[in-house]
Amino acid sequence: MTNAAFRRTQLDALVEAQGATRATPPLLLSADPYFDLAGEEFGRRLLLTTDVTGAEYCLRPDFTLPIVTAYIADGVGEPAAFSYMGPIFRQRDTGPAEFDQAGVELLAQPDGDVALDQVLTFARAALSIFGVAPDIRLGGVGLFEALLVQADMPDAWRPRIRNRFGHTEALDRLLTRLEAAPDVIREQQPGRDTLVESVTEQMVASGLSLSEGRTPDEIADRYLEQQALDAAHVPAATLKLLRDYLAISGPVLQALTQVEALASRHRLMLGAPIRAIRRHLNGLGETRVSFDASFSPRLDYYTGIVFEMTGPNGDVLASGGQYDRLLERLGAKAPIAASGCSVWVDRLEAEVAP
Amino acid sequence: MNGITLAVPSKGRLEELTREWFASKGLTITRPGGARSYLGAVEGMPEVTVRFYPASEIARELIRGSIDIGVTGLDLIHETSESGPASVSIASKLGFGKADCVVAVPEAWIDVTHMHDLADVASDFRSRHGRWMRIATKYITVTRQHFAKAGIAEYRTVESLGATEAAPASGVADIVVDITTTGSTLAANGLRVLEDGVMLRSEACLIVSRMASFAPERKAQLDAVLARLGTVAGF
Repeated sequence: MTNAAFRRTQLDALVEAQGATRATPPLLLSADPYFDLAGEEFGRRLLLTTDVTGAEYCLRPDFTLPIVTAYIADGVGEPAAFSYMGPIFRQRDTGPAEFDQAGVELLAQPDGDVALDQVLTFARAALSIFGVAPDIRLGGVGLFEALLVQADMPDAWRPRIRNRFGHTEALDRLLTRLEAAPDVIREQQPGRDTLVESVTEQMVASGLSLSEGRTPDEIADRYLEQQALDAAHVPAATLKLLRDYLAISGPVLQALTQVEALASRHRLMLGAPIRAIRRHLNGLGETRVSFDASFSPRLDYYTGIVFEMTGPNGDVLASGGQYDRLLERLGAKAPIAASGCSVWVDRLEAEVAP
Repeated sequence: MNGITLAVPSKGRLEELTREWFASKGLTITRPGGARSYLGAVEGMPEVTVRFYPASEIARELIRGSIDIGVTGLDLIHETSESGPASVSIASKLGFGKADCVVAVPEAWIDVTHMHDLADVASDFRSRHGRWMRIATKYITVTRQHFAKAGIAEYRTVESLGATEAAPASGVADIVVDITTTGSTLAANGLRVLEDGVMLRSEACLIVSRMASFAPERKAQLDAVLARLGTVAGF
């Protein structure tokens, strides 16, 4: 057996050895759930096709969605573990659109920390088959959310800032806008009833439904909120806190110490999410681990801790984390803990290519 | 393969203006078979073959590299493929066919004046209405790129091949991304362009394919044709 084939077999054995159900979702999947979950941004990566009725299908672009959807359809609640390896299909700037991924999904596990440790162990074992000792980058979604809840600012700004977390430019633009917020004297605003009435008139005049999309109430409320927000500035100290926090990036212990110092300066209770990150460090041992405060996938169902493992040439070889909001987003009736990762098999094979 | 292929819009005002522009440079495009023929020539330049194509096909073929020079709208280059702009070189802007690709919302959305307002509305649209904010457009590629840049991911596009401006009133979509010259059609349909909502300023351009293979002899021919038109390939 060649070395390449041998590594394949080993990876397959690792996937099998996870004490998990081996998942083999179909290659052809309905495209709508992907657009629904991840929006157009991910949608443009899909390889789409249409059946005679016009329904859209895509070639399997990932394993997580079909695995989790099937789990929900079976009636949720029981802890479950799935592992997978096989081809997925995505439009990419470079490389073929068909490539292999391997990974695990741990659902409804009683202890989220233990589950994440298992995920990290799996990813590192997969990389070590290919002789890669990775750099690991950790991100703290839970940590940022805890900071945001406690930071001093008008409530309406919190979701606006949260929504931009993980998109460095968009978040930077928002902070810059808040920093520059001028003290304009607002002219007297009409009352809410008057606004609702005038918006209703405009909508009726241009033939818009008053109930199908945004309603006059919603528009008037957001308009007033917007006016109020222009007046209610985010304090300069808070903006500085956010900037300082987001700039923290470096070796994990050093970075977490910086976060702790920042938290104590601003009297923020961030002990729990920081401890949660620290708990995983023992398991990672000597590996080079960094923490990047601004790192997060741009998908709002991620929670807790997220990670990325890169190889010597900088490619992301494995990525994953905790996504406790995913199952709810896909229709589960209550929040269900979830964590997992996927490993980019083609990139791993490129790491050892002669 | 020898000789240069020049693609010209096959009908309407765009064809006329293109031929006028070439005439202003002293080059006469002939179409021996009349309006139903798809093959033509440039007087005095036997090495140039003229093909009459719809503007969107000119954009596609330039990006593929199966024609060398073409006249088409910048918007179509951007829309046909994400790699479109990188696959061609703009040799000359022709000064006609001007139109902007814009984001427009219902006039009644008084709280939405900028893209960052739209980002806020999009982010909780789904939790309020049980579906994503819908954007009607025929410019799906341009929309995706521009919205990604603005940090907006929470929306769905609805492909619209005509009368996009009517989509909000007919309930097909909430907002539109459309091409406009004066904005009057949008305004007549109760839509308002966002203050930073111009995604692309488009006009008809003389465009050279970077994907076509130009061996030295053909490159010389290309440069000669472009020189007659007072421009260069840019590569």
